[in-house]
Amino acid sequence: MVAGDIGAAIGIAFTYFTIIYLTGLGGLFSERSGIVNIGLEGMMIIGTVTGSWGAHHFTLPPPDGLGWGLPWGPIMGLLIGMLAGATFATIHALATVTFRVDHIVSGVVINLVAVGLARFLSTIFFGQATQSDPGQPHMNPVNIPLLSSIPWGLGRAFQQLSPMVVVAVLLVFPVSFALYRTRWGLRLRSCGENPEAARSLGVRVAPLRYEGVLLSGALAGLAGAYLAVEVAYSWGEGQTQGLGFIALAALILSNWNPVRLMVASFVFGFAQAIPLRLGDAPIFRLIPDQFVRMTPYVVTIVVLAGFVGKVRPPAAAGKAYEGTTT
Amino acid sequence: MATIDAPAPTAHERVRPEWLENIGGQLLALVAALVIALLLGSVIILAYGESPVAVYGAILTFSFGSRDGFGYVISIATPLIFSALAVAVCFKGGMFNIGVEGQYLVGMVAAAWAALKLDFLPGPLLMWVTIAFGMLGAVAFASVPAVLKVKTGAHEVVTTIMMNGIAISFVAWAINGPLHFTQQLAGFNINLRTDLFKANARIPDLGHRFGVPESAHLSWLFPMALVTAAIVWFVLKRMRLGYEARAVGASVGSAQAGGISIGSVQIKLFVLSGALAGLVGMQQLLADKGYLPVQYEAALGFTGIAVAFLGQNSPLGIVLAAVLWGVLARGETAVQIDTDVPREFVIILQGILIISVVVTYQLAQRRLLARQLRKAAAVEEIGDPAAAADVEGLAKEDR
Repeated sequence: MVAGDIGAAIGIAFTYFTIIYLTGLGGLFSERSGIVNIGLEGMMIIGTVTGSWGAHHFTLPPPDGLGWGLPWGPIMGLLIGMLAGATFATIHALATVTFRVDHIVSGVVINLVAVGLARFLSTIFFGQATQSDPGQPHMNPVNIPLLSSIPWGLGRAFQQLSPMVVVAVLLVFPVSFALYRTRWGLRLRSCGENPEAARSLGVRVAPLRYEGVLLSGALAGLAGAYLAVEVAYSWGEGQTQGLGFIALAALILSNWNPVRLMVASFVFGFAQAIPLRLGDAPIFRLIPDQFVRMTPYVVTIVVLAGFVGKVRPPAAAGKAYEGTTT
Repeated sequence: MATIDAPAPTAHERVRPEWLENIGGQLLALVAALVIALLLGSVIILAYGESPVAVYGAILTFSFGSRDGFGYVISIATPLIFSALAVAVCFKGGMFNIGVEGQYLVGMVAAAWAALKLDFLPGPLLMWVTIAFGMLGAVAFASVPAVLKVKTGAHEVVTTIMMNGIAISFVAWAINGPLHFTQQLAGFNINLRTDLFKANARIPDLGHRFGVPESAHLSWLFPMALVTAAIVWFVLKRMRLGYEARAVGASVGSAQAGGISIGSVQIKLFVLSGALAGLVGMQQLLADKGYLPVQYEAALGFTGIAVAFLGQNSPLGIVLAAVLWGVLARGETAVQIDTDVPREFVIILQGILIISVVVTYQLAQRRLLARQLRKAAAVEEIGDPAAAADVEGLAKEDR
C-alpha cells in the first residue's frame, strides 16, 4: 500500500522531472555560453500557450499515408512550443548580446512580458485570455518495459508515462556529447568562461551566445509545451507555478553539469510530488504541504551560502562582452 | 558597435554642463522608447482595423477625462511607487533586489497577523501597528539574502529569487493555517481568505474628499507614498548612506579604499529596501480589501522593477512612471469598452515600452560613457587637473 503510493509519487516526480530538466538544460546552454537566463519561467509560459494552440490546431492527421500513425496534434504542439520559445528568447539574446543590457534586467523583463504576451496570444488563439478549452489531444502514455513490472507497487512509477519523459531522460546523452565532446560545445563553454581568450583563438563569441540563448528558449518552450499538452491537456494561466525558478535552482545545485542536473531535477520533482501523493504519510503529515514545497528553494539557498557543498558558475556568465561582435 | 574607441574630440564640440548631459540623455532615451512603443503598438492596432489615435485617445480620456478615472489611476500607482522605490534603493548600491515580490508577500502576512491578533489596540494605533508589522515582516525577510550576501558572498539575485518561491508557499500556509478564516456561517466552508480586519486597522479613504468614489480605493496611502518618495530622495541625495551607496554602486574597490564598510552599507540598503517593500501590500490589504485573500494581487514586486527602470531609479521619476503605468493599466478597460482591440493589447504595449526603455537607456549610457572617455583622453593630453576632477565627478554621477 505504502510502496504503491511511493511508486505513484515517483511517477508524478517523473512528470515534474521532465519539466524541470528540460528547462534546466535550457538554462545550462545559455549560462554555459555566458548569458545568465532568469527568464526561463517566461520562456516556459510562452511554450505553454503556443504548445496548447499547436495541439488544438493540428488535431487532424496529415493526408493518408503521410501520418505514419503518429499523434500529430501533440507532436506539433511540442514543436511549436519549442519554436515559439526560441523566437521569444531572441529578445533576451538581442538585449544581452547585441545591446549589452544587464542580463538580470533583461531576464526580469522577459518574465514580465511573457505573462502579458501569453494572455494576448490566448485571446487570439482561444478567444479568451486565461485558459484554453479542455479536451486537447495528447500522446498515448507508455509503460517502460521491465521496470513497469517491478513488484510491491513500485512498478507504478514506470507505468502510464508520457513518451516525453523518456525523451527527456535520454536527452542527457546528446547534450553531454554536444557539450563535452564536440568542437561546438568546447567553444560554447569557452565563451562562458573566458570570452577574450575564446576570441583570441578565433571563436566568434556573439553568434555562439545567440545559439546558447535560443537553445535555452527552445528547451524551456518545449518544457512549457509538454506541461500544457502532455500533463494538463489544456492551457491555463499560471500553469508554470514557478517551475522555471525551480529549474534555475536545480541548475545551480547541479553546478551547471547536465548529469548532475538530472539528479537535482528528479529530487526537486519528487519534492513537488510529495504533497500530491504522500501527504498522508505519517512523516509528512507533521509538516504542512507548503513547507515541503519550499524545500527546493531552501536547499538552494543553503548550498549557495556555502554551508553545504560548493558551486561555481561559468566565470564570465552575466558579464557583457565588449569585444567586436563579429 | 565599437562606440568605445571614440575619435579624439573635435574643436567645435560644444561643452555642456554635466547635469544637462545626464538628464538630457535620459530624457531622450525615454522619449525614444515611448515613440518606439507607441509606433509598434500602432502596428498592432492597425492590424485590428482600428485607428491608433482613437485607441490611445481612449486610454488617455479614460484616465484623465474624469475625477474618478484619475482616482483609479492613483490607487493603481500607489503600491507601484513603494515597490519601485524598494528596487531603486538597492540599485543605487549596485545590488538587485528581485525579492521585493516575496518581501511584500511576507509583509502582508505579518500585517494581517497584527491586524487580526492585536485588534484590541485602540483607534488608528491599530492601523499604524499593522503597517509597522508589514514593514518589519518584509525587513526580516529581506535581511536573509542581505546577511547571506555579506557573510557568505551568496549572490542576492539568486537568493532573492529563491526567497520569492519560499514566500508564495508561506502565504498559502498562513492563510490555511494560523490566519485561517473563522467568521464563516454554519454550513459554509470558505477558506479563501483571512478574517475581516476591524475598521480601525484600515487606511481611511481620501478619494471621497475629491469626489472620487470609494470603489476607487484612493486612500491616505497615496500621500504617504509621495512622502516616502521624498524621504528616499533625501536619504539617497543628502544623507551619508546615500553617498556611501553611490560609492559602493560605482566601485566596491574604491569605496572600500575610501574607508566605507561595504557590508554594513549593503545591509542597511537591503533593510531600507525591505521596509519599503513591506508597504507594497498595504494598498490591497488596508485600503482595498480589509483582509488577506488567497487570490491576492501578485507580481507587484516584479512590476515595481519595470517601474523603477522607467523612472530611472530616481524617486521623482518613479512617481511619474508609476502614474504612467497606472494610466496604461486603467486603459485596459478603456480599450475593451471603446475599441475592437482586445484589452491584453495594453499589456503588450507595457511590455514593448519596458523592453525599449531598457535598450535605449543602455545605449544612452554607453554614449555618455564614450563621451567621458573622450573627455578623459583630452585631459590626458592637456594635463589639466581641474578637468580631471570634472571627469571623476562625471564617472560617479553615471551610476
